Amino acid sequence: MTVEPRWASGVCAGLHAAGSRHVVYVPDNPLSHVLRILRESFRDITTTLATREEEAFGIAAGLYLGGARPTVMLQSSGLGNSINALTSLLVPYQIPALIVISMRGGDSEWNAAQVPMGRAVPAICDAIGVPHVTVESPEATADLVSRAGRTAFAARIPGVCLLPRRLTVPSPPGAA
Amino acid sequence: MTRLEATRLVVAAAGDAAIIASLGHPAYDLFAAGDRDANFYTWGSMGLASSIGLGLAMAQPSKRVIVLDGDGSLLMNLGSLATIGWTRPANLVVIVWDNEEYGTTGGQDTATAHGADLEAAARAMGIVATATVKTPTELDRVLARARTEPGPWAIVAKVDETNPTTKPSLDYVFIKQRFMAAIGQPEGATHGGPA
Repeated sequence: MTVEPRWASGVCAGLHAAGSRHVVYVPDNPLSHVLRILRESFRDITTTLATREEEAFGIAAGLYLGGARPTVMLQSSGLGNSINALTSLLVPYQIPALIVISMRGGDSEWNAAQVPMGRAVPAICDAIGVPHVTVESPEATADLVSRAGRTAFAARIPGVCLLPRRLTVPSPPGAA
Repeated sequence: MTRLEATRLVVAAAGDAAIIASLGHPAYDLFAAGDRDANFYTWGSMGLASSIGLGLAMAQPSKRVIVLDGDGSLLMNLGSLATIGWTRPANLVVIVWDNEEYGTTGGQDTATAHGADLEAAARAMGIVATATVKTPTELDRVLARARTEPGPWAIVAKVDETNPTTKPSLDYVFIKQRFMAAIGQPEGATHGGPA
């Protein structure tokens, strides 16, 4: 039997509590826990795989226009593929989305290709005016994700939750 | 057939369908052919019109959603065809204005001028209802089919480039809120405030 990590259950409970019933994603290893829990325990949530993160934000924008509250999940590397969608669609049209980013490139990173974008994610969010919070403990995850989502949908601006590896892969540090 | 003529045919056949227009000339021609509340004009995010249409079609499965894309734009986001081919929303109609050039940026050739076939690409990605049309009569005929036969549809319309002379509003929030109200999802009523 699989024991689900508490942080992953928290992401699911948090986005559900924020009213999100659509999750558009490009997968990574830690996020696979979230996706499994969504499919097994949150049957009212639709998950849609995008071929690329930028596409995921386009789908999310359409979902919002249709009255839904979309969540986008991606790895930090994928933020680089998303910036034009965020800055020329979601932000200027005031189209919100809850954004959950599984972080690479920080603590215990073994792959240099992940480091520059991983380090840059908070600065990029600041530069384009998208608020972000970092989830620091499994116990706090559901509340932080829910608050970020509620704020996003109320204020009509995308809101980011960062999931650091010290949260998602506590020990030993693993590969993606 | 010019893109403006073709866009007029789409608007005339659209009924109360939502129309999502790719940035630049496709959006300008939609505005010229018939500004309507259920038009969503993009001003950026090149390539994402079909993705926006897909998300809208998923959120509102009983609403017909028409996307007016460009060949250059769709070539920037070909993965969207794979996602549409997988999720297969029956209410989505993607129309690609294929003028074989980047019309908004000065007429540089696109790959469709050199052999790329976007209808074949759509079919290869699992979209079954497809067509390539070259005349107003052919376009009208396939639009009629797309109204009754389930999608997703991918319709490639070979069009001549003409320079639009008008542009839609640059007030993005106005575009969004007018659109959402027109399709029955007014932003103020169902969004914002405590969940």
